[in-house]
Amino acid sequence: MTESPDLDPVIHAQARLRVVSALSVLNEHDKITFPVLQDSLRMTAGNLSVHLRKLEDAGYVEVTKTHQGRTPATLIRLTRRGRLAFEEYTAALRALLEPGAST
Amino acid sequence: MEPSEDDISPAEALALIERERANLVRDIRPDPRLMYWPWGFAWLICFSLFFLRYGPGGRIYVDLPEWLPLVAMLVLFVVAGLVTGVAGSKPMRRTSGPGAWSGRAYALSWSLAFASLSVLFSRIGGHLPEQQTGLLWAGGMVALTGALHMAGSAIWQDRELFALGAWTSVINVAGIIAGPGWHSLIVAILGGGGMILAGALGWRQLR
Repeated sequence: MTESPDLDPVIHAQARLRVVSALSVLNEHDKITFPVLQDSLRMTAGNLSVHLRKLEDAGYVEVTKTHQGRTPATLIRLTRRGRLAFEEYTAALRALLEPGAST
Repeated sequence: MEPSEDDISPAEALALIERERANLVRDIRPDPRLMYWPWGFAWLICFSLFFLRYGPGGRIYVDLPEWLPLVAMLVLFVVAGLVTGVAGSKPMRRTSGPGAWSGRAYALSWSLAFASLSVLFSRIGGHLPEQQTGLLWAGGMVALTGALHMAGSAIWQDRELFALGAWTSVINVAGIIAGPGWHSLIVAILGGGGMILAGALGWRQLR
């Protein structure tokens, strides 16, 4: 995207946009396990971890380490801030597609 | 901004968003076919058997063994319950939080409510003529199914599920008014058929 000065740089990266898009399906406060998210996105664990850390640094996702029974589990959810950023991003994309429609 | 690989058009980005959302929905929601079809076919088969053996006004269309419809119903319902139990627990295994809790509470509601009605109907069923007992069991269970589908629609904001619950409730009342025998036929065709249709529509949406 060349003429897109207003697009959020954190989720403008394709891999992170994919992560946030998938997480946006969950209801607020619901979390998904790391392997399920990884499977759905078809990313390597390392790649997904890197992007999750960047999203976490921006306050867009929350990563929780916990135990399910005796096995450690990593749970991920989209924060309110992340959801807002995602909604603004998709609105900006739509505005780029139909200039003048939203103004 | 990271250039090169991220150089996609807004239209491509929106398509990407929709694709990833659809992928995750498929990965965490139960398969609608596994949720509806076992029950749809169970209703279609067992209530058809009831209609053929215990028709309107006590008519016997096909001289099946007396026990067959009831045994078929018990077996098919247990199988359907197991299939939907396993398929329906998928979101709880893959996510955690309020959504997973809703699913667990909803599943328990089905089991407890059906157990309550079974105890009640067993107690009073013995005092009624056979045809009325059959109508009491079938009408009560179908009413409960309709009510729980409508309640489920409120939890998951699922309009199709509400339509299915309302449809099930309406045809149940129509069948009860029509009387024993007719009730079996109506529930078999319209109730079972409704669930089979709901499974097919839900599946098409997820694909």
